[in-house]
Amino acid sequence: MRLVCGDEGHEVGVRPGRDGLEVTVDGHPFRLRVFEAAPGTFVLEDGARRETFHCVRDGDEVHLFWRGVVHRLTEEREGGRAAHRPAASGLVAPMPGKVIVVRAAPGQAVRKGDELLVIEAMKMENALRAPRDGVVKSVAAKPGDMVGPGVVLVELG
Amino acid sequence: MSPFRKVLIANRGEIAVRVARTCRVMGLPTVAVFSEADRDALHVRAADEAVPIGPAEAARSYLSADAILEAARRTEADAVHPGYGFLSQSADFADAVAAAGLVFIGPPGPVHRRMGDKQGARRLMAASGVPVVPGYHGDDQQDATLLAEARRIGWPVLLKPSRGGGGKGMRAVAQEADFAPALAASRREARAAFGDDVLVLERLLERPRHVEVQVLADSEGCVVHLGERECSIQRRHQKVVEETPSPALTPALRASLCAAGVAAARAAGYLNAGTVEFLLDSRGAFYFLEMNTRLQVEHPVTEMVTGLDLVRLQIEIAAGRPLPFAQEGVVARGHALECRLYAEDPRKDDLPSPGLILHLAPPEGPGVRFDSGVAAGSEVTVHYDPLLAKLVTFGGDRAEAVERMAEALSRTAVLGVVTNLMRLRAILGHPAFRAAELHTGFIEEHLDELSPEGCPSAEALAAVAAALHHPTGRPRAATNGPVAADPWSSLGPWRLGEAS
Repeated sequence: MRLVCGDEGHEVGVRPGRDGLEVTVDGHPFRLRVFEAAPGTFVLEDGARRETFHCVRDGDEVHLFWRGVVHRLTEEREGGRAAHRPAASGLVAPMPGKVIVVRAAPGQAVRKGDELLVIEAMKMENALRAPRDGVVKSVAAKPGDMVGPGVVLVELG
Repeated sequence: MSPFRKVLIANRGEIAVRVARTCRVMGLPTVAVFSEADRDALHVRAADEAVPIGPAEAARSYLSADAILEAARRTEADAVHPGYGFLSQSADFADAVAAAGLVFIGPPGPVHRRMGDKQGARRLMAASGVPVVPGYHGDDQQDATLLAEARRIGWPVLLKPSRGGGGKGMRAVAQEADFAPALAASRREARAAFGDDVLVLERLLERPRHVEVQVLADSEGCVVHLGERECSIQRRHQKVVEETPSPALTPALRASLCAAGVAAARAAGYLNAGTVEFLLDSRGAFYFLEMNTRLQVEHPVTEMVTGLDLVRLQIEIAAGRPLPFAQEGVVARGHALECRLYAEDPRKDDLPSPGLILHLAPPEGPGVRFDSGVAAGSEVTVHYDPLLAKLVTFGGDRAEAVERMAEALSRTAVLGVVTNLMRLRAILGHPAFRAAELHTGFIEEHLDELSPEGCPSAEALAAVAAALHHPTGRPRAATNGPVAADPWSSLGPWRLGEAS
């Protein structure tokens, strides 16, 4: 299987060994034992060393808490499709909410950081800003619209 | 002897859970109320009874006095604890509770009205000798008037809703060019959050500290303070890290600040628990900000150093009992810190991050308290405040409390929704925080841009692969089930004495 973190991908192999699992990461072997201490909570044993970590799978996503830091990984199985994220061609709603203000209009030149829309969620107004410089190709929201996460609100050319 | 027959908790999230816990200790049965979005929420499980009060939308559930009073009538509750937020500072709600023959666990309507009107409160404080920040608090709300007043006060100026709190509708305006859009946004937010868009203007003090005084007043007119809390670490006017005692105060300054807090409470004709907020400038001058006529989110730090249970005291005061101690009887020791864990993404401008909590491992250890409103399987929705939980640590001194907090944060695992955990860890690790050089712009100055956390090490990836390979490796559905009430029942023997 392949674990993807941002732009980095790592080939990971697991097979049962004589004493625990034999795991390889990008060809490097690791000999370790991992126990599930409670749902989602694991203990890694490496000789006498013990390390508690937390890990949950959600579809293709793997959520990891390792040494105080949360990581989100994507799991790609052999022969499976690569996990596709839409190319960042515009401004995507990051959470469900209600559109309050639309400042972007088709044809308008915008700079990275410009406020394009305001969405209300969790009782707060959240400004959505241009992810990069560009020209607005289309605007798919108007004030009052309820939008879901992942919806492209403004397309940048 | 129980002060009440049954307490209805008119709130949700961690505070509803926290109030229910004290009621349990006191032997008081509790009633939770819940919206359609909260049917399976943790606070519903924390109470003895639970009553639905309407749809997800707060205006038609947690803000509906009629629905809540109907729930109280049906369950024969005789007291209502409002928590914080929602109806906790609503004079009309306090009046309606009393009119229904129930006891409101908090100040009566007229006190809320007096202190909730920021303009009136400011005038009252100024007249009572409590210092106030220069500003405009007039009834004339025309754009031109507000702009002229902002010019008179001098930039930067802070726009604040006259009614309300919690940072909603507040905007700092650095220069005249930004005034008009900020004014429009503040009015919209104020109207949406509080149903009223009257704004006040205040001079924004440079690098001030936020220091507040906890007060308690009983029905016999006895007013005491429980010391101060410093809440200078804020983001968008929302508190993030709080502590007590404030490292900024000398004993003399503490005495005069706490005396001003008591004077403010007396001037307000106060009853029950309340908090008087001040801004402290770099020269040691302090100014009245506002009074919060309810329990504060950050009350646990005061509980840690005083050993008192503020919710219990609120209930006893509401039952007409005198305070069980005088000012001399309040003794604070040690130092306490609180970190607020929010479902917000610090790398995306603190955008709320709703979703399903796939996993939650609370920290444990000496002097550690974790007040949570969620558990594994909880859904974090867009309808309510993004506060998930509060992590509180106590230490013999500030260094020990900070050390314990840093360690506890590194063991607070929340998976499924993005949280501000990395920012909290960055704050606790920052030299300026360790040196107690705090001000309300601390995060913007030091920690606005968080360095990327990078990808896990090869060893971590190997561990993940082994965990996923585990025969009971967790598919998503498995974490949605009920959480084992007793963690020991689900622990294997290898964990004892070995794992952290």
